[in-house]
Amino acid sequence: MEQILRLPAEKLFQNEIDALIAAEKDPIPTGWKMSPKSVRTYICGGRVGNTIITPKYIGHERLVEIAIATLVTDRALLLIGEPGTAKSWLSEHLTAAINGDSTKVVQGTAGTTEEQIRYSWNYAMLIANGPSPEAMLKSPIFNAMESGSIARFEEISRCASEVQDALISILSEKRIAVPELATEVAAKKGFSVIATANTRDKGVNEMSAALKRRFNIVVLPAPADIDSEMEIVRTRIEQLAGGLDLNAALPTAEVVEKVCTIFRELRSGETLDHSQKIKSTSGVLSTAEAISLLCNSMALAGSFGGGTITDEDLAAGLQGAVVKEDEKDSVAWKEYLENIMKKRGSRWTGLYKACRELNS
Amino acid sequence: MGQPNFWGVRHLSPAGAYHLLHYLDEIKPRLVLVEGPSDFNSQLKNITMPETQPPIAILAYTSEAPVRTILYPFAEYSPEYQAIMWCHKNKVECRFMDLPSEVFLALSANAEAKANEDFNGDDNVDDIEESHSDEGEEGRAGVYRRLDEISGEDGGSETFWERVIERSADSEAYREGAYEFGRQLRELTEGVDSDWEETKLREAYMRRKISDAVAGGIEPERIVVVTGAYHVEGLRDYCSCMSDADIAKLPRLEANHTLMPYSYYRLSSRSGYGAGNRAPAYYELLWESLCRKEPHFAAYSYLSRIAGYQRSTGNPVSSADVIEAVRLADSLAGMHDSKIPALRDIRDAAITCIGGGSLAAINLAVADTEIGTRIGSLPDGVSRTSIQEDFYRLLKDLKLERYRDISAQDLSLDLRENRNVKSERAAFLDLYRSFFLNQLSVLGVSFAKKQATKQDNATWAENWVLRWSPEAEIELVEAALKGDTIAQAASFCMKERVEAAPNMGEIARVIEEAFDCGMAGAVSYATSALQAMSVDAASVEELANTVQRLSVVVQYGNIRRLDSSPLIPIMTRMFYRACLLLPGACVCDDGGARVIIGAIEKLNSAALAHDVLDQEAWISALDETAYRDDLNTKLSGFAAAILLERGVMDSSRLKLEVQRRLSKGVPADLGAGWFEGLAMKNRYALIARLSLWENLDAYLAGLDDEEFKRALVFLRRAFADFTSQEKDEIAENLGEIWGLNGQQVSETVNAVLDDAESQMVESLDDFDFDL
Repeated sequence: MEQILRLPAEKLFQNEIDALIAAEKDPIPTGWKMSPKSVRTYICGGRVGNTIITPKYIGHERLVEIAIATLVTDRALLLIGEPGTAKSWLSEHLTAAINGDSTKVVQGTAGTTEEQIRYSWNYAMLIANGPSPEAMLKSPIFNAMESGSIARFEEISRCASEVQDALISILSEKRIAVPELATEVAAKKGFSVIATANTRDKGVNEMSAALKRRFNIVVLPAPADIDSEMEIVRTRIEQLAGGLDLNAALPTAEVVEKVCTIFRELRSGETLDHSQKIKSTSGVLSTAEAISLLCNSMALAGSFGGGTITDEDLAAGLQGAVVKEDEKDSVAWKEYLENIMKKRGSRWTGLYKACRELNS
Repeated sequence: MGQPNFWGVRHLSPAGAYHLLHYLDEIKPRLVLVEGPSDFNSQLKNITMPETQPPIAILAYTSEAPVRTILYPFAEYSPEYQAIMWCHKNKVECRFMDLPSEVFLALSANAEAKANEDFNGDDNVDDIEESHSDEGEEGRAGVYRRLDEISGEDGGSETFWERVIERSADSEAYREGAYEFGRQLRELTEGVDSDWEETKLREAYMRRKISDAVAGGIEPERIVVVTGAYHVEGLRDYCSCMSDADIAKLPRLEANHTLMPYSYYRLSSRSGYGAGNRAPAYYELLWESLCRKEPHFAAYSYLSRIAGYQRSTGNPVSSADVIEAVRLADSLAGMHDSKIPALRDIRDAAITCIGGGSLAAINLAVADTEIGTRIGSLPDGVSRTSIQEDFYRLLKDLKLERYRDISAQDLSLDLRENRNVKSERAAFLDLYRSFFLNQLSVLGVSFAKKQATKQDNATWAENWVLRWSPEAEIELVEAALKGDTIAQAASFCMKERVEAAPNMGEIARVIEEAFDCGMAGAVSYATSALQAMSVDAASVEELANTVQRLSVVVQYGNIRRLDSSPLIPIMTRMFYRACLLLPGACVCDDGGARVIIGAIEKLNSAALAHDVLDQEAWISALDETAYRDDLNTKLSGFAAAILLERGVMDSSRLKLEVQRRLSKGVPADLGAGWFEGLAMKNRYALIARLSLWENLDAYLAGLDDEEFKRALVFLRRAFADFTSQEKDEIAENLGEIWGLNGQQVSETVNAVLDDAESQMVESLDDFDFDL
């Protein structure tokens, strides 16, 4: 256990899930471990008896409700959004709470084949004994259908369209035909699929209309305001720092605020008070990126510095996050430094100087 | 002492209306008192007429300027409206019991004077309406905000109300629930709200009305009081109430009131109304589902309407999507312990299942389904102001009734006589329509908006966009102060404008508009005002503008069947003045020259259109401008161009003039500027004259390098907007002069500049003219 880099959500939050199940009062849908309301509490935070449930997804509680309600109605759920809007995160925690198992995952890539969605064969056994149930290798989706639970399909839009379409009949008929064994497998109650898709990255395939129709689509937006974004960053950093042994103090509220401010401004192309236009950069400055930036800075501070994040550590992280692709980003970043950050007053001076040094 | 039966409501609450009917059936009252200004009682009979269709509103307005208004809207699902209808059906007496509208208007005027803020008319409406309603102010708003937070949903108080109170199982549950809601709201905000004083005043007055009714011999138990839930607690102790002396002391502003059609759109955009304010069409669905006793009806129709709207705009939505949306809405409601989805659940389900996760995909359908386009209607002759009467009579007369709709419609008019019909009225129907619509524009009634006609100067065609809205109705009522009919009010308006006009151009505009409106009286009034003003000094530009406006009216006025001859003397006089002033005005810089060129154009086209204008004076003014050397050369050139165009300047004269203007020694910018002015008009005439090009050629050849550079800048500008066809022809001329092949020259002239050449030309941009 100690050696695992990242535990699945249901292990990490085992006590919360147990507490919620123990305190359950509302009716539980077939195949679920807790009621829809408890799932909501698990995701959005709250308190059950003496256990405090940490919020896993902050802001946009209504979207979480819609997602849970979708799964209650046996419809498949498609979470789409820009990179770093916590799609996979939400999908993992939904399955962790609903089934206590977030590990039935198809990780979509351009190389994903239809067999990985349906089933494939152990070819040695297939050649030796012919098709038999034992020789069959079931996909996570197949397993989820048999057990009446929820399968996750990550990055569905990275798969080729033909491969994506293998899901169509599974979702509408809720059964998989196995012609080799002259049988078919019907999904048990409780089966559903949560897919996630990215709207902005390069190299994604458009989903067919037929497939989209079989999903309820929930669009996850970037955090609505800086307060909730800071809250997200802060909680995630705390959780991560515990797991990663970073040997550095947690970033102060001021540091988190600075990073979130810079990210939000560059993302939206204007200052937080809407008074000035800013050139945006090409990279995706998501909340997730801000979190990893701060972790990075903590690692820098812990390994090579005095254990607290300095402006230089932060500047190094910002330079890497903001200036992604080309010369243009560097120019935009320089403009931002000179026009916005420099004029923000003494609180920002240290960071400004460190950034300017790196970006010269 | 018995207690009357209180029925606390939220204005515009379908469940409140529905359960109230049952409650009334049960109590069988002898009298129903409804919250609403007590001087509106005379409107009750109009509200109950069979032709009256909600949404409607009672509008009270002050009879003196500045016009202040207050509005009391009723939808079909307003408890107040249903109470009134119930009384009518059951022959039970019904009365309004709140402060008279005169007092409300005076209170708002005082409050405004106190706040010392300059609201415009519209803000007044909002202001009063808010204080009339039971929601919307600081203190109460704060409570609603807290309720939002506690209920853990966005728009929580609204959804809370819908989930809890609107879904009450029976009339007793609703009554208790709404009462409790109002009582606690009152407890939390007593004395905090800025209008608390007014609330106390209103309640004392309402208590008086209850007490009057009891004194009139009606047992309290047989009285039902329909009022905002917030006020129930304040009305209980009806024995201590306002005395006659107090009533006499109330401030008052003289006011009239009228019933007017209202719209769901307006209802949705009003601030300060509680339940149903944002989604009147949805609340009507709720009302319908209560009447049908099918709790799910609202959700089903909402979603099918969204789907229907999407299909009608070419976005396929399958029934399966609608079914999924219904299921999702139900399960969302389930997460909030409710069996029946609230608006929020239904809308979110529609966004997820029909809109593919984005509101933007279905927002038109959502607006159509939640707000709708319904407008109310009233029977003819129902207590309107006389100007409204006139408006509706004219709508009918002019066959414009179908344009009385909330969605915008186009109307094209042909003002010419229609010879296929018999009656004179029918033959000129479009003309009369044009008069009517123009008069409305003059009054600032937003019912009709004039569009630009496609054809230039097509004076017989007009395009309008017509769209009725309650705002238009209010604007109409506001115009009531100006006159009893549309025409009267419009003429009053014009008179006001003439009196306030700062210059002649403005008066000429009024004359033009008066012609558009077909109002001979206003024309003659404005004309004499113009005469009076024309004595004063004025610039050429202003004179030219005025002459042009008058010229248009004189020229095309007859299509509107008005005699424009009274305008001719004044136009002639002004034109002559302009002629006299023109040469003097031509001493100006290039910026001023642009304005004068416009004026010359206008005067010239007026001169061409009307023989009555003094042609001789015009020609001699141009002559002087063209030949004098001390004027802006561009203007001299332009005057010469007009003389040339009018055939007054012959070839020999032109040749002479070109030689003189473009002779060596004349500063290059002046010479080229002159040519630029000359080239602004009748280019064909110029191109055809070979001698001109010879002169130009000789002139250019005679310049030294520095002078050539200066001239080039101006000439380049002068030739910039010649078409390539025209340049071709010039090239031919030059070819002939130089003895070259015209084709070759043309190619060179029309060729795109190469880099080196561009650079050379660009360097001219930095050319310093002060050298």
